[in-house]
Amino acid sequence: MYSGKLLMSLVLTTLSLCIAIYPPAARSATSQENNSNQSQNKEDQSQAADPGKPAPDDQTKVPVSNIKSAPTDEGQLATVNNAKIPSYAKVYVAPIPGGFENYIIAGLRNKKVPLTVVIDRTKADYEISGVSDSEKAGWAKMLFIGSQNSNEQASIKISNLKTGAVIFGYSVHKTNSARGKQSAGEACAKHIKQIVLE
Amino acid sequence: MSSKRNVVSILALLVVAAVSTALAGDKNAPPTQKIPKGAKVFVAPIEGGYDTYLKDAIARKKVPVEIVASHDQADYEITGTAESQKASTAKKVILGNWHSREEASITVSNIKSAEVVWA
Repeated sequence: MYSGKLLMSLVLTTLSLCIAIYPPAARSATSQENNSNQSQNKEDQSQAADPGKPAPDDQTKVPVSNIKSAPTDEGQLATVNNAKIPSYAKVYVAPIPGGFENYIIAGLRNKKVPLTVVIDRTKADYEISGVSDSEKAGWAKMLFIGSQNSNEQASIKISNLKTGAVIFGYSVHKTNSARGKQSAGEACAKHIKQIVLE
Repeated sequence: MSSKRNVVSILALLVVAAVSTALAGDKNAPPTQKIPKGAKVFVAPIEGGYDTYLKDAIARKKVPVEIVASHDQADYEITGTAESQKASTAKKVILGNWHSREEASITVSNIKSAEVVWA
């Protein structure tokens, strides 16, 4: 009787510990990536069904069906009609909560992206805007995984300021990011480089 | 006759040169990425008073720039973000590490041209 109760309590403790260790962000990372593709398909279908319905983002003048996804190792990338940015075009990086815009600018420099970053929006041809989120390591992660690295996620978009069209979008999720926001910023810059004409 | 031809060919060459120069001017040129010695630099306030540490470090490392207190007097501006996370009890107990985790990113921009020269 006692041994049965003991066994049950042991199983319950192990289960609760497992749930505590495994971060919810990591649990949902793969499913989120799949979901983003699915939601994009759903959006496509809804747009096709109701062409008169305005796009949720006012800046998106180009139909959503023109957005092409490219497979990447660490995030979701989408370009519109294979749009390209001319080299040394003037780019303004809009403020992002948490100062992530500084990490993007530093990433552009580290990855030698041939763009001119300006601090005045009126002088720019393109604008980079986005969101970022940082999740610090909890006690359970430190105890069971022995890692104190944070989880970083960010999503950016590039819009042409003259036409107002969004020409590029990229999302990154890094679990156990060794260099924190720097890694996420450099990942964004690396993928921006892909659409810059050299 | 031959002198006339020469004049015409020289004129044609000049026209071609002028057109090509004009076309080249339309293209975006790479920015000059050097800060001159003794340039006046303004360090904008950064969260957690990080700008103070940055000013102190610039002085200690003998960086040949002049720090000014006013944005109007400066040629360049340093902006950025910084985040400091103190070691939690879990980190101290489990990992035996009581060091804080520091994260900072700065950008140096030319105030006149509004271009970022370094990050």
